[in-house]
Amino acid sequence: MSAFQWKLAGRCHKFGHDIPHPGPVIPKHLIAGRYMDPKDLVPHLFSELRPGFPDKCKPGDIIVTGRNFGMGPKMNGYIAMQALGLGLMTETMPFLAYRAALGVGLRVLDTCPGILNLVEDGDEIECDFSTGAFANRTRKIQKTFDPIPEALRELVSLGGTSGFLRQWWEANRPRETAAARA
Amino acid sequence: MGMTATEKILARASRRDRVRPGDIVFPKPDLVIVHDGLVVSSKAELDGVGIDRVFDTDRIYFVTDHDVVYTSPRAVERGTQIRKIVKEWGIKHFFDVGQGGHGHIFPIQSGVVTPGTFYFDNDRHCTNAGGIGAVGFRVGTEIATVLATGTVWTKVPPTIRLTLKGKVKPGVFGRDVGFRIVQDLARRGIDLDYRVLELAGDLEQFDLGERIALCSSPTEMRAIGVFIPPSERILAEAKARAKRPFEPVFSDADAEYELDLTLDVSEIEPQVVLTGGVERGVDIAAKAGTSINHAFIGSCASGMYEDLVAAAKILRGRRVAPGVRLFVVPGSELNTKRMQTDGLMQVFVEAGAMVMPAGCGICSSGKMGPVHSGEVSISTAADNVVGRFGAKDAELFLASPATVAASAVTGVVTDPRDFQVFRSGEAA
Repeated sequence: MSAFQWKLAGRCHKFGHDIPHPGPVIPKHLIAGRYMDPKDLVPHLFSELRPGFPDKCKPGDIIVTGRNFGMGPKMNGYIAMQALGLGLMTETMPFLAYRAALGVGLRVLDTCPGILNLVEDGDEIECDFSTGAFANRTRKIQKTFDPIPEALRELVSLGGTSGFLRQWWEANRPRETAAARA
Repeated sequence: MGMTATEKILARASRRDRVRPGDIVFPKPDLVIVHDGLVVSSKAELDGVGIDRVFDTDRIYFVTDHDVVYTSPRAVERGTQIRKIVKEWGIKHFFDVGQGGHGHIFPIQSGVVTPGTFYFDNDRHCTNAGGIGAVGFRVGTEIATVLATGTVWTKVPPTIRLTLKGKVKPGVFGRDVGFRIVQDLARRGIDLDYRVLELAGDLEQFDLGERIALCSSPTEMRAIGVFIPPSERILAEAKARAKRPFEPVFSDADAEYELDLTLDVSEIEPQVVLTGGVERGVDIAAKAGTSINHAFIGSCASGMYEDLVAAAKILRGRRVAPGVRLFVVPGSELNTKRMQTDGLMQVFVEAGAMVMPAGCGICSSGKMGPVHSGEVSISTAADNVVGRFGAKDAELFLASPATVAASAVTGVVTDPRDFQVFRSGEAA
């Protein structure tokens, strides 16, 4: 787990309040069609709000949003964010959206009160998602938010639910099954 | 500081002395319920990892309620796949099409979900468990993790207490109160996202059907749970049905609530919820007289036997108005059987209603009995977001079973009090 990169540093991509997941984050037809492959999803991340977004970001960049980000329980948009190596910090997000983001292993802080006032689009920012330590290097601001809870760090470090299940099965697979397969 | 009932139930399931809002716990559920929409995808997910078994074949319930008559070739195929999966995994409690009915109703009626039970479910309407003093938590697609490992991470939610004061007027039902609760919370800007709404106060007046109905609308406002402390009457009913011994759980007197609210229910009128969300309720007078085409009684919100009784009181000896189609969807096969022995089936059939197989009915995306463009529907569906069950430009009013029945008879939105129908348990 020590090798996992909890700290991201890069550009800030600032978004406002009340951005629903279906549509603004990822086109509805990709959600309805149950597209889960990053190659199908990445080109369309934020395409309604910022065409060409995936070409303007690089791994380590952090999406910063206001209140109520990502309404809806689906995970398609977070798959795209994760594939691009991005992090996410929101003032608030509905619990099911937070759950969906963690389920794909996204580094996400869902309770960052007032963060929209601390950043502008394009600022150089960094965040350690395991401690909540945040810094805006452009504006020389530092602040600490609630980190990813300790009990959930294993899930995130394993890349979300599928990685977690893989490790769980490795540890819990009955011996006779393992022997039979060998 | 004490704990709320939900916290106590979560603590017990998590093998901890106490939990507090915000804690991350890994509860071991008494049971797990998965509906027909998530079985195949859960199997594919676990197959992908190589997991070839479930944590406990005896604690898992597969229910079939979302598409019980197979309305598409894909649904037929899915049914075949589900039966194959049941065999492969050795699931002991499988309720196939035509068996059981709605997975958020029949487990309560058949004594599987009892006061104090904790369970995981893929679907958010498992909040119905709160109607009998149990807790069901929705985990969506992560139900696959539960099926494999027997648990999944769970954040202990904060609880908001709402004390109901007064006695509701005759002709006003639990469903109306539920509509009014969310209307008030929305007006006050109170967010139910991942909160438990615990009811308190004058609850004795609500039977089990109305308690289930009370759980519905807050769920649509993103509550993770609704908890209604069971009364003596509810406990006696539960004891008579219970499949195993149970221990009812109540909040401590010094439990901590995020908010403490009150609502006077004595002034509530029958409600009609306008299209677009359960919080859009208005007093029935505002919409009375509006012509309707489509009516539906059922869903997880209003599919209990008590709901059918309330509707039958109005429909007895009357006919559905010309030009109106009325669908009645009993929540469970138990209801369907009881309707036949109690004569309710005859009432609905003679009224010209179409009685459909137990399950979600029209509310499941309008796979059966959808609305057409420009039509007006009045129903007891759980939700009425635009396009919930058919054309996007149709009106989807929500109301209590009595109001829907009254409207189906007259062909226009009608106050059930026009038919002199009173609350169940009271003289008509």
